[in-house]
Amino acid sequence: MPVLRMRDARFFARGAPVGPVTVDVAAGERVARAFPSARDAAITALMACGIVRAGAGSVLVEEYDPRVQGAHCKRVAGFVPHSPLAIDESEFERYVTYRAALWDVDPMRAIAHAKLLLERLDGVHEAFAYPIVGALIASPKLLVLDRPQSAYAGAILAAAGPRAVFSTHVNDDAAAAFAPARDDRTVVLR
Amino acid sequence: MTGRAFTAIVTARLSAERRTVLYAAATAAVAGLALPREPVAPVFFSCAAAIVAALLQSPGRQAILDLCEESAPLFGRELARAKALAPCIVAAIATLAYCAPSIALRAPHALETVAIAMIAAPACALVALSASVREGAPRALYVALACTVAAGAYAIATAGASLSGELAFCALVAFVALRQYGEALARFDPV
Repeated sequence: MPVLRMRDARFFARGAPVGPVTVDVAAGERVARAFPSARDAAITALMACGIVRAGAGSVLVEEYDPRVQGAHCKRVAGFVPHSPLAIDESEFERYVTYRAALWDVDPMRAIAHAKLLLERLDGVHEAFAYPIVGALIASPKLLVLDRPQSAYAGAILAAAGPRAVFSTHVNDDAAAAFAPARDDRTVVLR
Repeated sequence: MTGRAFTAIVTARLSAERRTVLYAAATAAVAGLALPREPVAPVFFSCAAAIVAALLQSPGRQAILDLCEESAPLFGRELARAKALAPCIVAAIATLAYCAPSIALRAPHALETVAIAMIAAPACALVALSASVREGAPRALYVALACTVAAGAYAIATAGASLSGELAFCALVAFVALRQYGEALARFDPV
């Protein structure tokens, strides 16, 4: 069963409609998809992890439907926003502890895990690394990245480990950076 | 929802608005030095503080907290309970600060005034929370509804001379408002 399955998913509210989007992400697969606009990419990423509900079509995160099982979807999928996180190093532990509380993760384990992830994200600016660490401390099965920085693709994919990754982009080059090897586990869609 | 998650949301929200809480408490304490003889000023001041504190929970003001809460595996009603407590605490602090001089100087009916205000303010905050996730006319309507609740609670407590009646009215309003806010959060799309 795919970790993420979107079928003609559309979003209508507020502004121009988004979609239809059709995509499958299997366990361990890395799928990068380019969209015509930043808004389309952002909303698709939000739909893929159940934060925004599709107005038409279907989205399944594992076997859960975000329209009725949003909380379950959010336990499976971790979301990393496009915008950098405006916190400094002194607030990082507080941020990790806060997220650990929301995801019911042991705080000490979360902090240790976060430090390990930060080491893997060596070279990535803290403002971009912290949201990735925040998303990964709950050990989601699917990591959804909204327009990640292509310069950090290697480090981000290394930090993600063997879990499925779905990233949205606004150009093919950025998408290709997140699906570098065109084997059966990496796909670039347009 | 675990108690740890509930506490984390409440403390994070209060911490994010700590300056506002401090200014509100300081302003309330200064205003309270006027030693109002009638409960109308403290009650409406507390309700106004509660409504403002509720509107401060609007999406966009605390982007990091908003994003964490929206992406967390929490049901709307759970998130609503945690987010609702923060403005209620702010309103309680403002009320106590406002009434502290009256209580300290043993002004007549000071404790009754505190009781009326402390009962009315949470109900107003919970109604106004539904305004925080809406825009335009619905937002204004919910704020107006919160003001009406304040007036209704005051009328029951003073004209009706029934503190228990006010308590029953506010408890009913608060229950319905909290459920409504939970439903609104469950359907909320942060786009």
